[in-house]
Amino acid sequence: MRPPGAVDERQFMALCIRCNRCLEVCPYGSIRRAGLSPTVGTPYILAESKACYLCMACCRLCPTGALRTDLRNPEKVAIGKAAIDRDLCYSHLFLKHDVLPDATGAKIAALCNTCYNVCPFPDTAIELKDNLFPVVLDGCVGCGICVERCPTRPRRAINVTPTGMGRIDEAGFYFRKARARFRGGSQKIERDSVLKGQRLLDTKSRIEGSDTPPEFTFPYDPDRKIEGWE
Amino acid sequence: MKYGTYRRATQLIVFGFMFLIPALNLFEIYLITGTYYAVSIGSLSIADPAVIVQAVFASGHVTISLVAAGLFSALLALLFGRVWCGWACPYHLVADAVNRIRRRVARREPPAPSWDGVAAFRANVTRFGFLVVGTFTAGVLAIPVLNFVSAPGILSTEAMILVKERTVSVEIGFIALLVVVELLVLPRFWCRLFCPTGSVLAVFRTPFTLHVATSIKTPKAPCCKGNYCSAACPMGLSPFREGSNMLCTNCGRCIDACQAHGGPGGLRFAGFFFQGGA
Repeated sequence: MRPPGAVDERQFMALCIRCNRCLEVCPYGSIRRAGLSPTVGTPYILAESKACYLCMACCRLCPTGALRTDLRNPEKVAIGKAAIDRDLCYSHLFLKHDVLPDATGAKIAALCNTCYNVCPFPDTAIELKDNLFPVVLDGCVGCGICVERCPTRPRRAINVTPTGMGRIDEAGFYFRKARARFRGGSQKIERDSVLKGQRLLDTKSRIEGSDTPPEFTFPYDPDRKIEGWE
Repeated sequence: MKYGTYRRATQLIVFGFMFLIPALNLFEIYLITGTYYAVSIGSLSIADPAVIVQAVFASGHVTISLVAAGLFSALLALLFGRVWCGWACPYHLVADAVNRIRRRVARREPPAPSWDGVAAFRANVTRFGFLVVGTFTAGVLAIPVLNFVSAPGILSTEAMILVKERTVSVEIGFIALLVVVELLVLPRFWCRLFCPTGSVLAVFRTPFTLHVATSIKTPKAPCCKGNYCSAACPMGLSPFREGSNMLCTNCGRCIDACQAHGGPGGLRFAGFFFQGGA
C-alpha cells in the first residue's frame, strides 16, 4: 500500500513528485521505491517484509500534499484493511479441526492470535472473538504489522488490501506486485497467489465488520460439570 | 579569483550533498531531507519549480503547500537567474566533465559560434516547446511525466539509492543515454534544448535579475577579435549582446574569459544587487 496519509490514488499519482523524502525519513525502512512501471519512483509499503509502524514522520514531510501533511493521529490513517483467510489462520483452523495439520502432516495444536497481540489498536482494529479467534474490525488502519508478524508460510493468513487506490483493478496491481516481489524476487506471478475475480470477492467477503458478527458454532460438547463454566 | 573556481566549488559541494543527505538520514539526522526534486532544510521547503508546475497541472489544484515549496526557488531565480543550473546542478557538473573529455579527445576547437541570435532563439523555442508539451501531457495523464526526465532529480535519487541500498535503479540508464549523446552527438544538448527545470527557472528572468553586462552600449559585432566570451559560453550564446538571454545560466565563464584576455567589452555581472558595480 501507499505510505500513511496518502490521498486517493489518482490524486496521489498526480501530486507525488517522486522526491522520495518519505522513503528517506522512514526510520523503519518500511517505505520502498516502485521500480520500472508507470508508478516508477513512487513510494509503497510491502507489509509482508516491513510494515508501517505509524510514526507519521513521512506525511509531515511531503512537499506536495500527496501524503496529507496535517495528519498526526495514527488512528485516522486508512491505507488498507486487513482480511483474515480462515483457511490459513492457525486459530481459525484449530477451532475448525480441533488439531492443526502442518506441512509434514503431523498434527499440531495452536492458538496463535499473534495478529491481535501485535496490533497497535487492539479491540478497535482487531478483536479476539470469544477470546479464541481474531476478527478484523472497522478500526483497522491497514498498517500491516499483523501481516508482517503472521506466522503462516508461504502465504500469510492475514493480508492487507490497500485502500485509497481509487480503482479496484489498480489495487489488485499493487497487491500482486507486492506479492510477487515477496516471493523470492521473481516478477512472475503465480496464478494461485493472484487475488482477483471470484477469489478476490471470496476473500473480501470474509472481511468481517463489527456490526455483523459471524455465526460461530462451537464444535465441542463442553463438560458442564467444570466448576465456574458458563 | 576567477568565478570558475567558486563555481566548481559550489557544484562539488552540491554534488557531495547528494550523497551526504541520505547518509545523514541513515544516522537519523533529519535536518536536511529529500532529493533534488524537493529538499527541506529544517522547516524551509525547497522544490524544483518544474515539478511544482506539473503537480499543479496534473492534480488540477493549487494548494498552499505546493506554492510554498516552489517559492524559494522562484525567488532565487528572480534575483540571481538560473544560478541553480550553472552553479549547483549535479547534472551540469556531469555535462562539464563530458564536455572536457570531448574536447580532450577531439583535439580541435569547436566551430566559431554565429552571433546573429538565431541559434539561441531556436534553442529557447525547443526548450519551452518541450516544457509545454510535457506539462500538457502531465495534465492529460495526471502523472508528472517530466519528472521521469529530470536529470538532477534522477541523479540525486540514484545517489540516495546508492547510499541506502548499495545499488542503482534503471533510471540511471537515462543519465547514461544523455552522457553518450552529449559525448558523441551534441555537447550540452540536454541543458540547452530540453531541461524542464532550466526552462521554468528561466521564466523568472527580469531586467533586474543578475545578468552579464558589457560596458559597450549597443554591441553589434564581437568587441574583441578572438570573440573569447562566445567561445567560452556553454550555451552557445554571444555574451557581449545576449547577457540576459533566457539560456544564460550566469555561470561566469564568459566573464572569466573576457578578463583573462583583457577584452575591451569588460564583461561583468549586473543586476539587482550589482547595479552599476564593477
